[in-house]
Amino acid sequence: MHMNRPSRGLIGLVAVAAMVLSASACAGGGKEDKGPDSSIGFAECVQKPNTCNTGKTKAGGTIVYGLGKDIKAWNTLSSAGNTLEYSYALFGVLPRVHLFYPDLSVQVNKDLMDSVEITSKSPMTVVYKIKKEAVWNNGDPVSADDFIYTWKVQNAKDCPLCKPATTAGFSSVDTLTGSDGGKTVTMVFKDPYPDWQGLFVPLYPGKFAATKGDLATSFTWLEQNVPTYSAGPYKIDKYESNFALTLVPNDKWWGAKPPLDKVIFRIITKDSELIPAMRNREINVMAPIPTADLVAQAKELSDSHWYLGKNLSWEHIDLNLKNPVLADKALRQAIFTAIDRQAIIDKTVGQYAPGTKPIGSHNFVPGMTAYKDLVESTGQGKGNIEGAKKILTDAGYKIEGGKLLTKAGTAVPTLRMRHTTGNQLRKDTCELVAESLKKLGIDVKVEQTDDLGGTLTKGDFDIMIFAWVLSPLRIGGAKQLWHSTSASNYGKWVNPESDKLLEEAAKTVGDDPKAHELINQADALMSADAYVLPLFQREVFISVNKQYTNLRPNPTNHGSVYNIGTWGLLDQAQ
Amino acid sequence: MFAFAARRLMISIPVLLVASFMVFVMITTSGDPLQALRVTNPPTPPETIALEAHRLHLDMPWYERYFNWFGGLLRGDLGPSVNVRENINEEVWSRFFVTLRLVLLAMVLALIMAIVSGVVSAVRQYSKVDYSMTFLGFLFLAMPSFWLAILLKEAGIFLNQVDGDSDSRIFFTYGDRSAFLEDPTAWNRFTDVAGHMILPTLALALITFASWSRFQRSSMLEVLGSDYIRLARAKGLRWRKVLTKHALRTALIPLTTVSALDFAGILGGAVITETIFGWHGMGQYLTDSINTRDAYALMAWLLLAGSIVVIVNLIADLLYGVLDPRIRHD
Repeated sequence: MHMNRPSRGLIGLVAVAAMVLSASACAGGGKEDKGPDSSIGFAECVQKPNTCNTGKTKAGGTIVYGLGKDIKAWNTLSSAGNTLEYSYALFGVLPRVHLFYPDLSVQVNKDLMDSVEITSKSPMTVVYKIKKEAVWNNGDPVSADDFIYTWKVQNAKDCPLCKPATTAGFSSVDTLTGSDGGKTVTMVFKDPYPDWQGLFVPLYPGKFAATKGDLATSFTWLEQNVPTYSAGPYKIDKYESNFALTLVPNDKWWGAKPPLDKVIFRIITKDSELIPAMRNREINVMAPIPTADLVAQAKELSDSHWYLGKNLSWEHIDLNLKNPVLADKALRQAIFTAIDRQAIIDKTVGQYAPGTKPIGSHNFVPGMTAYKDLVESTGQGKGNIEGAKKILTDAGYKIEGGKLLTKAGTAVPTLRMRHTTGNQLRKDTCELVAESLKKLGIDVKVEQTDDLGGTLTKGDFDIMIFAWVLSPLRIGGAKQLWHSTSASNYGKWVNPESDKLLEEAAKTVGDDPKAHELINQADALMSADAYVLPLFQREVFISVNKQYTNLRPNPTNHGSVYNIGTWGLLDQAQ
Repeated sequence: MFAFAARRLMISIPVLLVASFMVFVMITTSGDPLQALRVTNPPTPPETIALEAHRLHLDMPWYERYFNWFGGLLRGDLGPSVNVRENINEEVWSRFFVTLRLVLLAMVLALIMAIVSGVVSAVRQYSKVDYSMTFLGFLFLAMPSFWLAILLKEAGIFLNQVDGDSDSRIFFTYGDRSAFLEDPTAWNRFTDVAGHMILPTLALALITFASWSRFQRSSMLEVLGSDYIRLARAKGLRWRKVLTKHALRTALIPLTTVSALDFAGILGGAVITETIFGWHGMGQYLTDSINTRDAYALMAWLLLAGSIVVIVNLIADLLYGVLDPRIRHD
């Protein structure tokens, strides 16, 4: 980041009148699309996701990251603070037991932990050994107190007035005890929890929190007050509401000294303002949700690397089985067979992310070892209108006068397909689906909703398009999404065999291949039943000024900040 | 005049209350502020949702919520925000002053430009200068404010880079100041703030100046053609003195009242300008409150914006009386 030159200030005031129209047509365009830089840029990120754009840094400097939201709560464990952007802003401050890497691997944070091991499968027991030198910046050691506090505020038992974003995993823990002066923590589960590596990311300071009151009081205190505490490479120097969060190196950090003097998260809430800010070097990094316009403009930034890849969010079309018409499997299969997923991709996301392909799993995405295409073999999503008609006629349906009639001879009613307000991609998808289903004699009325949560929980839809975001830890999550008793199973698909498989997978600890296989078996049942049609993975995008190194795309929810302590100015003399 | 002002203010109170009731009904029936919590993965515990609903009074019927809010208002409590850390009272005032800074500066600039161009156009009617001023006036009048703002941003970035040194900047495109300065001396801070103010102020001022310059031109032409100006000239007064002491003074009356009446409109224009330039003012507060269904924040916005409009309109009415002795407020 480079400051303005004050001596030119007055010249600028005089120059204003002349610049208004003459410059407008000149700015922006005309530069060649160079793509990712092959030397120090992101070109290697597909092959080497964890090491691409690595470089030698020089000491000093400031980086400014365009953050999409102002920070409204500082306790990322709470429902109010459970926002990706807040987590990014605090990544350099709060310690994490595990880190999610760009290659989708989950690794122990070696700066914080000596070891993390499952020592018993029954009862499931995990032993954490914390580094002796790990301390908070007030001198308190990072210890079992922090683990116990972080557990108690999220286990739904010890703190009924806390408002955690989730109790998943923590509510399955039976006991959590410290030993070895607090540097060893033993966690015993009452129920196996295969996604246990997702716990304690992050940790909050237990001893410090205790000075603020009881669990509920301190939980709220942590939510409302800017952290003065840190056990990461950086600590917070300054926060100005709606403006910026400034981090400076934590002088009590025991790991490698971070190269930068300052990391500034500049709050820019409108994605459309990111490109001008990058061009004007008011920010040096941006990682917004990509759109066609934004990607096209980002490619014009000659002084920046850019990367457009796939993240862990996937779009899908859901049917509501509470609608008696859609309770019929044959109709559902015909609907999904008539939808052309590749055509939808080509006319929407493919406009700026060429090479996007339909995905074939409800639980894993390409790149995960457990991924299997379980949709392809069902023939769904291929836009096969004749095949769809055959499914219908075989099941006793008739198409007369452009209308689909049920076996009883009544017309299939108009189906309401809903999407979130303002999401053009989903709106276009709905229109394309309506066009396809028209060929089967099914009328689809496209409606928007500005209350996605309410619409889903009330089941106020016949067909719905939305997205789920996956975590690299996917064993327990499958049951949570697709089990017949799950609140997230909005379309109310029930399959006892699938339930059994998902329950079995959720109990499988320490044998990921077996758990994945069980999930894939359940997934195959759901695919055959035509309940949810996976469309495609969404994109991860990042653009970084070429002066900086060690930044790289990370499709997981730990984002590019996962290695914030290594970011620095590139030493050109290397 | 005092009685008139007091009466006008009293009348505006029920107007504001009716507006607040209607807006409250609309916002509370338009969706669920907790919707984001209901679609998380993993899911938010129902107990958390219930506690949050209680904090925001969502467990009450809407009419009870309204009267609860009204009772709080009388005690100076504007209610809880969807954003847990936010004190609505502090936030809305802080946003207001951000917007006010932009609006006042733009108004001053627009007034200066409008008076100068209006007077010059009138004095040199049908000259090249007049045609040029008229052209510019209509050009900016026809431009949507968001487009002009974007053009100015592009122009600013271009000029910053025109000397080939991409590390230096005069014009800033986002926010009201830089997040950091390497050398934060008083002069550097001043130029930094000035650099951030140039483009948004200009965007708002140019749009505003366009219509005002037309008012000023026609007003000046009317005055210059009046008998008392001819008399002043005939008595041998110097042209400059006639122009400044007699003609301009009278010709400023319509612009004074128009600018006061336009204040609310300029506030509206500032919503767009500050959105494009990333100023965290009233405009952003309004859109954020609507997007998050933050009913109490929206009510605070409405009350403040409504009160300002009422007060400024009252000032405009009173100015009529001050500037034109024929009008009396009884």
